[in-house]
Amino acid sequence: MKLLLIEDEQELANSIQTYLTGNSFVCEWANNAKTAIDKISTYDYDCILLDLMLPDGNGFEILKELKRQNKTEGVIIISAKETLETRIEGFNLGADDYLTKPFHLSELLVRIQALIRRKNFKGNNLVAFNEIEIDILSKTVRVSTKKIDITKKEIDLLLYLIGNENRVLSKSAIAEHLSGDMADMLDNHDFVYAHIKNLKNKLKVAGCSDYIKTVYGLGYKWQND
Amino acid sequence: MTKKLLHKTSKVYLLFSVMLLIVTAPLFYYITERLYIEETDETLILHKNEFVKYSLPTLKNADIQNWNKYNRNIKIEPFKNSDKDTIFYNSYYDALDAEIEPYRELNASILIEGNPYTYSARINLVEKEDLMKSIAILFLVIISLLLVGLFVITKRLSINLWKPFYETLNQIEKFEIDKSNHPKFTETNIEEFNRLNNSIEKLITKNTSIYHSQREFIENAAHELQTPLAVFQAKIDTLIQNADFTQEQYKMLSSLNDSVSRLNRLNKNLLLLSKMENDIYNEKQTINLNEAIEKHIDFFTEQAKAKTLIIKTEMKEAVAVKSNPVLAEILISNLFLNAIRHNVSDGQVLVTLSNHSLTFSNTGQSQTLVADKLFNRFSKFNPSEQGNGLGLAIIKKIADQNNWKTSYSFANNFHSFSVAF
Repeated sequence: MKLLLIEDEQELANSIQTYLTGNSFVCEWANNAKTAIDKISTYDYDCILLDLMLPDGNGFEILKELKRQNKTEGVIIISAKETLETRIEGFNLGADDYLTKPFHLSELLVRIQALIRRKNFKGNNLVAFNEIEIDILSKTVRVSTKKIDITKKEIDLLLYLIGNENRVLSKSAIAEHLSGDMADMLDNHDFVYAHIKNLKNKLKVAGCSDYIKTVYGLGYKWQND
Repeated sequence: MTKKLLHKTSKVYLLFSVMLLIVTAPLFYYITERLYIEETDETLILHKNEFVKYSLPTLKNADIQNWNKYNRNIKIEPFKNSDKDTIFYNSYYDALDAEIEPYRELNASILIEGNPYTYSARINLVEKEDLMKSIAILFLVIISLLLVGLFVITKRLSINLWKPFYETLNQIEKFEIDKSNHPKFTETNIEEFNRLNNSIEKLITKNTSIYHSQREFIENAAHELQTPLAVFQAKIDTLIQNADFTQEQYKMLSSLNDSVSRLNRLNKNLLLLSKMENDIYNEKQTINLNEAIEKHIDFFTEQAKAKTLIIKTEMKEAVAVKSNPVLAEILISNLFLNAIRHNVSDGQVLVTLSNHSLTFSNTGQSQTLVADKLFNRFSKFNPSEQGNGLGLAIIKKIADQNNWKTSYSFANNFHSFSVAF
């Protein structure tokens, strides 16, 4: 999978690249609008991460350029701007998702995965990990082909964990992911523990291996031993 | 007690007029009377002189009886033992009117054919009384008319003169620094009012610009912080991927992580406040509060589990209010969050919704909070609490924007935060 990161803040771009590379992703970086448009015109990408405020132009110009070139790349806007107007304008210009800075890298990763899944969706929208199979459309989870009883939130958590395989996920990152729009309201991440515990139990009962590891003091990690 | 400026001046005018009337009326009466009596006395003396000059030389003793017969007001009487002319008041019974009437009388001694007599002339003062009455009434009427006229004119004039002042006052009363309704003063032809208007305009312009730059500063600061925060967050996310940390280092990373998300929330709340001040959320819709509360209950019930709190709702009727939907949600979330955050383990949260108010009551510390500072920014009762001190300020700001009232009370160990529509 090829990604293009359009972001002028080098430190942030480095971290994003480091985090994404290795997840079967190749992440290229453009730090201004001109380079970005050159790259878009020359190559095809699976997903574009777009900052709106660039030194030589507005991110919206790039969206317009994509449209003009009839490109179908999925675009996730990553911006510090968070007014409803910029969101709507972004979506109207063809962006697929909008992530407000600051964000957790793990959140960005699952958003990219979800977007690519939607783009490459061919009748079935399945995520599989060893004996676990998640059907995203029908919101069902099977362990070794046996359907298990699981809540929507737990499916969401499971997807998030699997999507960030082998990454340490802080409690706050998990909490913010699970809370969606309400993330800004959170000041207590204790509820994450309850969700992890429930999910762990359900998987264990279904005969699934224990992939969820606790990272002392920090959070959790989905690990395939 | 405060009164209108015009009342005050009018009152002074009125008081002065009444006092003037009270003092001058008797004075006027007294002076007119004196003048009249003097006039009467002069007439009496004139009559006497005429009598002495024209009638007396030809008068005989035998004529006295006839004289007295045909003259009612000038009589010649037997000598009364007085050499000097005397003028005095006297009363006579008037047979025609059947009443006693006042007279001014002059007595003088005269000699007729060597015999002394007393000359007695009198003038009826009834005419004087009538005249005086007429004069006094006329005087009163004129003075009253004058005063009423003066009063009306000054009142009219004052209203006209002070009109620009009241206009200015109206404008200032309507002025709110966070709204963009700048007062526009009209030019007047009175120097003082122009000066007043100019200085107020200057004051407003200066303060508004200070207010704007401060608001801008908060907004820009919050906005500019987002990128470094994003870098901070990303670096921590990357850093924790390293497998070989000691427990001590994990703890440090964990607290760094908590701090960055706290910083994040704080920043977002500041941004929210400045957005509200910039009237970004001014579009209003009818919102069903019951639905809005129900929508958040699951999320906050989950949050409440950590403290094993019980959330109870009391919503008897469907309540619809006019508000910006985003702000209404933020209001409810903040009220929920506040009630959960400052609660004690195994405590309670009671949400009461009625047609005119929404109240969140929660158990918590057992003493009442200082109510007047509660809704200010960063007024944290307990500095070690996790909140950022903006929650209640945001609640108040949203309430203000919808013209709702916020209040706090403490009773039966329950802290209650109310929003009255």
